Amino acid sequence: MRAPSLAAIVLVLIAGSLFVLVAIGGGSRDAPKPVAAGAPPARSVSVNGFALTSTAVDLPDDAATYPPGPHADLVNQRCLSCHSASMGLTQPRLTAAQWAATVEKMRDTYHAPIAPGDVPAIVSYFTTLQASKPQPAG
Amino acid sequence: MDRLDFDAARAVTRRRLLAAGIAGGGAVLAGRALGADVDLRLPGGPSTRAMTSDFPQKGAMILQRARPALLETPMEVFQQSLYTPNDRFFVRWHWGDLPTSIDVETYRIRVGGHVERPLSISLAQLLRMPRIELAAVNQCSGNSRGLFEPRVPGAQWGHGAMGNAKWMGVPLRHVLDLAGVRGGAVAVRVGAMDKPLVAGAPDFEKSLALDHARDGEVMLAFAMNGEQLPLLNGFPVRLVVPGWFSTYWMKTVDAIEVLASPDENYWMAKAYKIPTAPRASVVPGSKDFPTTPINRMIPRSWITSVADGATYGYDPVLPIEGIAMGGDVGVARVEISATGGRTWEPAALGREDDRYGFRRFTARVNVPRPGRVKVMARCTNTRGETQPMEANWNPGGYMRNCVEPVIVRLT
Repeated sequence: MRAPSLAAIVLVLIAGSLFVLVAIGGGSRDAPKPVAAGAPPARSVSVNGFALTSTAVDLPDDAATYPPGPHADLVNQRCLSCHSASMGLTQPRLTAAQWAATVEKMRDTYHAPIAPGDVPAIVSYFTTLQASKPQPAG
Repeated sequence: MDRLDFDAARAVTRRRLLAAGIAGGGAVLAGRALGADVDLRLPGGPSTRAMTSDFPQKGAMILQRARPALLETPMEVFQQSLYTPNDRFFVRWHWGDLPTSIDVETYRIRVGGHVERPLSISLAQLLRMPRIELAAVNQCSGNSRGLFEPRVPGAQWGHGAMGNAKWMGVPLRHVLDLAGVRGGAVAVRVGAMDKPLVAGAPDFEKSLALDHARDGEVMLAFAMNGEQLPLLNGFPVRLVVPGWFSTYWMKTVDAIEVLASPDENYWMAKAYKIPTAPRASVVPGSKDFPTTPINRMIPRSWITSVADGATYGYDPVLPIEGIAMGGDVGVARVEISATGGRTWEPAALGREDDRYGFRRFTARVNVPRPGRVKVMARCTNTRGETQPMEANWNPGGYMRNCVEPVIVRLT
């Protein structure tokens, strides 16, 4: 192995000095905020009086599924991969044609894992579910 | 691919969910833990929604959908504060693979396309650029969609898919000028970190005409009400397009592309299209009508001091407060009617910080005797556009702006 050149040694020394300067507060970073054990320290950039601090979050999981009914398994299999069940369950009473247009949009435009043959069953699930609910007053 | 491979699609979905920290990692949604459902009073229902405080950096919100998140701001928040607190500001994402972790030191905004000098801008560089700050309402194109009659499919929002904040950031014009827009450019397309969960689905991107992008007010905002944005509202940088609907207010902006021809992508050419008719209104059931991408907002107002359908103790004078917005111009006046629209009295207007923000209004309504009272507010903007009594209709459920009566019982 070749010995490192003088230039490389100088570069490493300069880089090392810069790192130390930053580490002892020569940079513009805020002091790391106390964090839970195991979590990496939050990093910040602070310029001209405004600081942005690295952020990580956990989003809540949603275990809700579509209620039982004919083809519910298919609906759970096809629809929950992209969105919560509430998306379908909060829809107003729609006609079979409106449901078909919606499901076809999910398949054709948004590439949902829905085979052409699945559409009538999914539409039937939603129209049956909505018909089983009493029409609310007003 | 010619044939759908469901196992492969599910594996991809699962992998992306795991990569995004969505599946398995987070706490299970408590949903109804707050115990208080809210009734959005949507005609024909379903009208009740759970309240949730399970989302990071968010307080109590109306849960429309957990994944991808659709969180609505309860109306009382607009009564409590002219500026919507960041932790109560509504949330709307299109795709399930949204960023859950942002490293401010490695984050970059790429500027490219029809420019002289493609750029990669760090957040430290962005913070060194000239800043502007202005108040502006961010309102979803489909705000109040759940009130359309006949009803239309889509996210069934009440009135709370909106919020008002002071936004601070760098004018997009400054960044475009640094990159040097080449002759012949016509539009600027903005991309973000969220991605579809399934391969081949259209990535969410939106574009503005070049002149609009360079108007000096459209900005890359890094601050919202004086603080960094909540991640669910687009931390670290979102586009602010004052006076225009939220669909253009891209969150977690990481790409700016100058285009030499109009944007023909799905989200501009097919989605978020409105009828060209005034107020985007067509006869219910209409299908073949000329359309255009949704654009500027129009005036709206809401009474926030009393809730529709509620009962209060009788007093001969009913104090009324609310919020109004002019759309893409300021509020000229707000009027109040307790006579079914037969007579209108001017309301007093609170201060105007910027013409794009909410304006507070107050009035006193005389109520001669206990019973049922219908109170209405209507806003006229400085362009002379007044909220009409009749609701508009279009199949997308966009751009509602009619007078929103509040009926209360005084006993």
